[in-house]
Amino acid sequence: MKCIYIDKDEALTFLYSEDNHIEGQSYEWEGEDVVHVHTIAQPHAFGHVTSAYWHKSVLPTAIPSQEQYHIVVFSDNEAKAYYVNSKFQSEECKVKFIPSKDEMFSRAKGILEVDILSDKRVMIIGLGSFGSQIAIELAKAGVGEFSLFDFDRVELHNLARHTCTIKDLGRLKTNAIKDAIIGKNKLARVDLFPININEHHTLMDKEVAKADLVICATDNNQSRFALTKCLLKNNKVAIFGRAVTRAEGGDVFRHRPGGPCYNCLVGSQAYAMAAEEITNRSQLPAYVSEEEANAMIQVGLSSDIEPICNLIVKLALVELSKGQNSGIESLENELEYDYYIWANRRERRHVGWAPFNNAKNMPTILKWYGARIAKDEHCPSCSSNTVLDLGEGLNDGVLSENFEGIELDTEE
Amino acid sequence: MDNARLELEKAVLATKLPPNMYMFRDMGTSNAHLLIGARTNAKNVYTLKIMLKDFPSSAPVVYTTKPLKDRNGNDLEVSHELHNYGTSDGKTRICHCPDSSWTPRVSLYRVYIKCRLWLECYEIYLRTGQSIDTLINEINRQGGNPTR
Repeated sequence: MKCIYIDKDEALTFLYSEDNHIEGQSYEWEGEDVVHVHTIAQPHAFGHVTSAYWHKSVLPTAIPSQEQYHIVVFSDNEAKAYYVNSKFQSEECKVKFIPSKDEMFSRAKGILEVDILSDKRVMIIGLGSFGSQIAIELAKAGVGEFSLFDFDRVELHNLARHTCTIKDLGRLKTNAIKDAIIGKNKLARVDLFPININEHHTLMDKEVAKADLVICATDNNQSRFALTKCLLKNNKVAIFGRAVTRAEGGDVFRHRPGGPCYNCLVGSQAYAMAAEEITNRSQLPAYVSEEEANAMIQVGLSSDIEPICNLIVKLALVELSKGQNSGIESLENELEYDYYIWANRRERRHVGWAPFNNAKNMPTILKWYGARIAKDEHCPSCSSNTVLDLGEGLNDGVLSENFEGIELDTEE
Repeated sequence: MDNARLELEKAVLATKLPPNMYMFRDMGTSNAHLLIGARTNAKNVYTLKIMLKDFPSSAPVVYTTKPLKDRNGNDLEVSHELHNYGTSDGKTRICHCPDSSWTPRVSLYRVYIKCRLWLECYEIYLRTGQSIDTLINEINRQGGNPTR
């Protein structure tokens, strides 16, 4: 027996409308006896598409002749659905409802108080392998509002680690992730910004001001530094995450107003400056040859970045539901570090770490380590007593300091 | 660049260089830049144009206001060996700092010193044929400069 899924919110809208009959669309997963019917055409259709006729109480007197279609009838507080084939033979189908907003997250009740999250707005900058996973996990948890920033499109080399699939190839990542979010939380409000954040600082500032939380999942420090400026101005919380070379490990930094900023972190001993994972050509100088670029672009496995995304999501949920009887309050007192480090393998930066099977009290792989980062009293971003790097020691007195007769070329 | 940072940069430059040697121009526009003079040990004079669009969030783009030539007299082309992004519109863009190493703590004066060192490397290249990449690696190894 075919099973017909009806969107409960759409059905209620139809029942409360003045229309007695409307024509919508049905989408059949061929060979699986599963059909989803809608009152309105879906933006990215799937399966075999036919008409769906929605009726209150009575069947229509005339239905246009066509190959096949589905009928949904509401009568006596009951919904019935039928499949009609090209010979006008009908077959009753089993009806199932896609739950309404209130029911959508009922399974999370008691674990996480989802009502707290439905009004929260999360800004996600960068929708690569990190940002895409995080966005969908937050949607699954019940976050109701998103602003998504990424100018990139889904490419073949993304697929191994990205939530997008082959059918998304060529699409803007913002649009593809919006669809994935809506697939998990159909009532989520999603604003799209398919732009390079580094070229739109005013917009970034405006969106940071509107957000309850910012996730920075970009692959470059330029955006992290520019974002830090906006965070400090607007007193917002942000979580930064990245993988280090070939995703042999990764780190997560949480910025809270009044605490150390990303710049304080970069100036600290704990931070591995040059270890950034290189995932695409744009992270390399233009003069690097194709051969060199191919050697330098080395990405890790999806399973290597998953634990890092997972911690970012947990930190995000703690921040979004802080002090509100969320059901995960205990984490508030435990996830209290500014900076977290994770190693997937004992390579390069982590080569000196202890083997997993004999770690004793030494740091080892597949475990999170937290650290408190001190505020830098001379930080160029968050301190009023900035001390700049003047390059002492670079010159060492060997460069001539004869400045006489230098005339600036102002005609260029 | 906000005003506080601009004042800080001006204060540093005022203690290090004579006032006629540098000039902030078009501030508050997308073409904001610092023109700064440089004289190498061999007494050749260059003017550097340090673009300030995203400074200090990102490493500023630096050009020489005149095209630089290779040993054959041709404009420098984008090259890893010669650490530059090529010549166009009559100016050569030099590489003074990889993006991955940049932090907002770096002053414009430090950028100037790095460019001075680059120019010294460039002139050694013109004299000897040694690549700028080799010379810069030597600087990094010794923590010093190429003339040592």
